[in-house]
Amino acid sequence: MNDWPLSRRVVVKAMLVASATPWVLNSRAVAASSCDDQIVRMGAIVAPDTLNPFASWSNFWPLAYTYDWLVGVDAQRHDDRKGFAKSWSVADDNLTWTFKIWPGMKWSDGKPATARDAAFTYNYLRNSIGKPDELNAGFNNISGLDKIQSITALDDETLQIVTKVPTRLAFDNYTMIVPEHIWKDVSYADARGAFRNDPPLVGTGPMIVSEFQQGQFARLIPNPHFRTGQPKTAGMVFHFFTTADPIAQGLKSGALDYGISLTAAQWADLSGNPDIVVGEARVEQRDYLAFNTASGQGAGSTKALQDSAFRDAIGYAIDQKAIVERAYRGHADPGVGLVMPVVADFYSDLSDIRRHFDLAEAARRLDAAGYRDKNGDGVREDKEGNSFQLELITGTSSGVLEMPIAAVQLIAGWLGRIGVPVSVTQLDSGALNARTAAPAKGGGGWDLLVQGGWRGPNASDLLVLGKSTDSADSSNTSYWSNEKFDQLVSEVETTVGLKKTQELVDQAARLIYAEAPYIMLAYPLLLDARRKDCFQGWPKDSGTSQGYYPFDRVRPV
Amino acid sequence: MSRRIGGIFIRAVITILMVAVLNFVLFRVIPGDPASLLLSGARVSVTAEQIEAQRQNWGLDRPLFPDQVLDYLSATLHGDLGYSFKFRGRHVADLILERLPATIALVGLAQLIAILCGVLLGLYAGWRRGGAVDHVATGVSLALYSTPSFWLGMLLVVIFSTALGWLPGYGAYSPGANVGSRDLSLDYLRHLALPVTAVALGLIGQYVVVARAAMSDVVTEDYMVTARAKGLTGGQMLMGHAFRNAMLPVVTLITLNLGYVVAGAITVEAVFAWPGIGGLTVEALNARDYPVLQGVFLLLGASIVVANLVADLAYGLLDPRVRQ
Repeated sequence: MNDWPLSRRVVVKAMLVASATPWVLNSRAVAASSCDDQIVRMGAIVAPDTLNPFASWSNFWPLAYTYDWLVGVDAQRHDDRKGFAKSWSVADDNLTWTFKIWPGMKWSDGKPATARDAAFTYNYLRNSIGKPDELNAGFNNISGLDKIQSITALDDETLQIVTKVPTRLAFDNYTMIVPEHIWKDVSYADARGAFRNDPPLVGTGPMIVSEFQQGQFARLIPNPHFRTGQPKTAGMVFHFFTTADPIAQGLKSGALDYGISLTAAQWADLSGNPDIVVGEARVEQRDYLAFNTASGQGAGSTKALQDSAFRDAIGYAIDQKAIVERAYRGHADPGVGLVMPVVADFYSDLSDIRRHFDLAEAARRLDAAGYRDKNGDGVREDKEGNSFQLELITGTSSGVLEMPIAAVQLIAGWLGRIGVPVSVTQLDSGALNARTAAPAKGGGGWDLLVQGGWRGPNASDLLVLGKSTDSADSSNTSYWSNEKFDQLVSEVETTVGLKKTQELVDQAARLIYAEAPYIMLAYPLLLDARRKDCFQGWPKDSGTSQGYYPFDRVRPV
Repeated sequence: MSRRIGGIFIRAVITILMVAVLNFVLFRVIPGDPASLLLSGARVSVTAEQIEAQRQNWGLDRPLFPDQVLDYLSATLHGDLGYSFKFRGRHVADLILERLPATIALVGLAQLIAILCGVLLGLYAGWRRGGAVDHVATGVSLALYSTPSFWLGMLLVVIFSTALGWLPGYGAYSPGANVGSRDLSLDYLRHLALPVTAVALGLIGQYVVVARAAMSDVVTEDYMVTARAKGLTGGQMLMGHAFRNAMLPVVTLITLNLGYVVAGAITVEAVFAWPGIGGLTVEALNARDYPVLQGVFLLLGASIVVANLVADLAYGLLDPRVRQ
């Protein structure tokens, strides 16, 4: 049986030809990483589904490079970064806000960008309130606009917003200003759905989206009419990824110039590369342990969860420093209160009331609160005489950052050592969302939850975690309700002065810390990296940007 | 014969209809509300009213039975797969058609390479049992067969993209490439090379193992001894008797695998950021995008049914006993 129709020689030749394929294909492979085209290539784990800011929450990137906010977060924190307005002020009545728009500013298509466009954007949203196609489904939404009396363009460079009550909302909002001449003919039904706002977009930001390939990338070109001058690069390509591995490999090979969404292991690996500079930035992310404080529908397995003394005692069994060191590999700040360190205006380390890790103290407090191990089996009983067996649920990510499962394992270990055994269930985002929904929506039934979230830095957003869920917001995943806290939130929403707002936020933060429906675990840092070879002018704090910065000023080497 | 073929077709149509119904139920059983998921990514407050309004907009506030299911079945039978929740304003059929070429290019080409290389190598190893080629091919194939393709993909990226810089490590083509030009085609092929290799290597192992086992069985059959006793040469025995019989299980594997071509290769697509059906499925699943999931799984179900149909018909051609 030797007469095989293919000879060895033929097989060997075929293998040689196949192995030569990479050389054949090699011709332009390296071109993608070339500096010659002066295009900045960046990558992140994002999945924008449409370029319409009225229809989606997931298109912050890349729209943040094309559209401006009226003021925005960056402009409040940094003098060298501005939004659609060059300056702003509020009258003594704390109701009338005046915004001065950049004189002579133009949209990327060359048409004048004026206060009328800003007024159009807000009024477009306001006028949809109560209509069947109310604009409540995207980044540009009606949230808070019911507190606005009027929005008027006094002239091309002056926008006046009059509020019904004192509120910082007039400038503390995240509405992207869109051109009236593009959007005036878009119906509300289309704006919240079918209108995809296909490129090339028309914006006032430094980089304009010129091509959008869903699931792959967005290509951006420099805005020739950008108010501080056309950016020096030839544009950007923003690559979308579902995992961080290609980002790390792309940075190493030179195919990417800048990448975010890196894991601690990748960051450590890249930090040893001489061609790469790694960075880490504080952001508005907070990862926490929540107790299911619901009674009745959606309640947990024991009434102890509704007892602040029980929750407080558990707080002494959580070692935030160990969590940061072992679970986050040092790339986080230890959790304290509701406010993250990056929000300097409102942050407090609560040093006078802060709990410290002490398992003996936790056990003593549980004893004092009536949760003892009466039958000596090593497991404590609740006041009904039932042994504790808590279910801890968690997801696989915490917003846009990785949720380290090691943090959950540490917590389960510590609680087990004080006689409160915990079983862990890890769920995908859909299932987790269903279980943490409000009890009226079928959620609840769990005991402990480890989750994270990234919110805006304004006072209302900071406090939303503790706001009662009866009316609206579904962010309060502990189902905790406290009249005093809700009162403080209401006052914050109708206060303009920073000092007064700081006092109110501090009171609320202390109240919720003492009641302990949440134990803050960590404030993770955003890990990023950039290559040195193609571009210069990178700042150290690129990762802190909540807008187009630094891509308005990066320039070719 | 015609009754057999008719029966096969009727069974296929019934199966596809059952898949369509099952698709509707299956994804609604999974915990998670699409409206909450879609709006929960916000950095600003999202109210319960906003979530409810979104549900109404999609018709999810209506009774599941009979309103939603009847609407779905009626539209599906008319070829209307509906509109995506996540990819607002996009028709599901358009989304699938947009991603399908990339998936067929990736998995189809990988299958083709794997079939050619794997089947030939497996048959050769089985024909020359115990030889050097058999030992090497079997060992390497088992290793490849048991290695996750995403891991192979990562290895390929590290070697051929990061270290050597020969080939791009992600994406389908370079942004800004001139669509429709020869450059774009070459660019596309360069991007395709590594993911195709990752998928093909895993499949080659599978084909080698199956083809070798089939040929090994055939060469020990009595009719092969008879053929040799009758004075046939090795080539005549191989082409006249062994090859056709050994191909029966291989054809089954090929047709079944071809049915999965449209399913994509989810993990490999993730590693290479390849814009195929696999990635679309993951995105839709994460967002509980029922219309897209229903559309993708209907296509997948139909393609597997068609592949089985082809396998049944091919069996009849290869094996006279089946025809009888």
